[in-house]
Amino acid sequence: MTTTEARSLPGLDGSGRGPANGADGTGGSDGTDGADGAVRKGERAGVPPVSSPMLGRLAEERATGVLTRERGVLYLVEGQVVHAESPATPGLDVLLTSRGALGSEGWWEAVSQAGAERRVGRFLVDSGRLAAGALELCHLGALYDAAFFALGTGSGPARFRYGVAHWIGPVRPVTVDAVERETLRRRALLHRIWPDPGTDTAELVRTGRAVDAVLPPRQRTVLDQVDGVRTASDISLVLGRPGFHTLVDVRRLAAAGIVAARTRTAGPRTPDADGPPAVPSPASAATARGAHAARAARAVQASADPDVVLLRRLRDALEAL
Amino acid sequence: MPGIDECLLEAMRLPGARGASVVDWTSGLALGTVGDSPNGDHEASAAEAAELARLAAEHKAFAPEEGADWSGGQPPVEDLIVSNRDSYHVLRFVRTTFDSSVFLHLWLGRSDGNLALARIRLGEMAERLVVG
Repeated sequence: MTTTEARSLPGLDGSGRGPANGADGTGGSDGTDGADGAVRKGERAGVPPVSSPMLGRLAEERATGVLTRERGVLYLVEGQVVHAESPATPGLDVLLTSRGALGSEGWWEAVSQAGAERRVGRFLVDSGRLAAGALELCHLGALYDAAFFALGTGSGPARFRYGVAHWIGPVRPVTVDAVERETLRRRALLHRIWPDPGTDTAELVRTGRAVDAVLPPRQRTVLDQVDGVRTASDISLVLGRPGFHTLVDVRRLAAAGIVAARTRTAGPRTPDADGPPAVPSPASAATARGAHAARAARAVQASADPDVVLLRRLRDALEAL
Repeated sequence: MPGIDECLLEAMRLPGARGASVVDWTSGLALGTVGDSPNGDHEASAAEAAELARLAAEHKAFAPEEGADWSGGQPPVEDLIVSNRDSYHVLRFVRTTFDSSVFLHLWLGRSDGNLALARIRLGEMAERLVVG
């Protein structure tokens, strides 16, 4: 079971993050993940099908190792997910150190003392650096968060390396089923807030629309980081905030017409083009249907360049009516 | 030092406790659950409770008079209480030293539950969960 033919799969070699500690891995890879075509097909309806059939197989055979996809990795122990990482969302180290839950020297000391035994999580708690509950809440949040990105649509094929373990060690394993269900639920949640996924990955700009004075503080914090260069992932990293949380706030800001994805085809803008676009007041949009129509109208006006991206946004907004 | 499970089991020892969970109010994710759930599905209950918690946390109407203080990124609301004919729900925000949006949700039977006691204990549990 642990040895399979080592096949090189397209788009995999050297891409993404490798396992943090591959010393004991057997290096086998056992096939591609054929889910993505189906996922893309389902995406338009807003409720994509299962994210990775390969993951289901690994759970069934109670596999231990690391699943690598283009946008992240999932570590399994006996078929359960014990850890996940993605470049799209801050890791446990950033989450724990950026607000002072843990000093960075405390983190690195734990890694150097307990990393080789792969029990860094346990060490943080046993040495009194972190409450068990705090570690579990933070780690579990980070796990589901990274899994959301790793299992995301368009994440490309997957490969699995048997026997690889992560140095954080066991914290609170969850089933593959729970991770997949949560990933799909999160996609649907984002879609309900605002059906255009453009702001999830693009550089973000303010549209110039007046900001409501009672913007919720967590959204305000995100908005303060929107500078025309940063993406949602960049903002998460700056704030030490789980990536999915930022996506939720960015979609809310996009739905309110305050933030938009920077259009790549626009090129350098003239100062005139940067001015606030003329946007109709949404106050008249009393019904949900009216509000959606107003959003669709804003989606058109938020960008000066009618291009493919814009047309797709418009289509998504209309489909959501 | 209690972890999520110990915290939830402690909540279940309160008189009248039917079910308890730890939920992230931004995503609606149930990070841990124990006992029964109001609609037979912990995940669905968590998503619904998260909506309520988010509104309470974000709307200024529920902030203290001196203003909505989000120091440390934590909401100014401490807890929420919902009652119906046969039960109580107590939602207690957990203040963490890392960026999060987490609350404890306790579901209590009305005839045998003690709302005042549950509210105090849940506050203590929320603190111990993250401070140790």
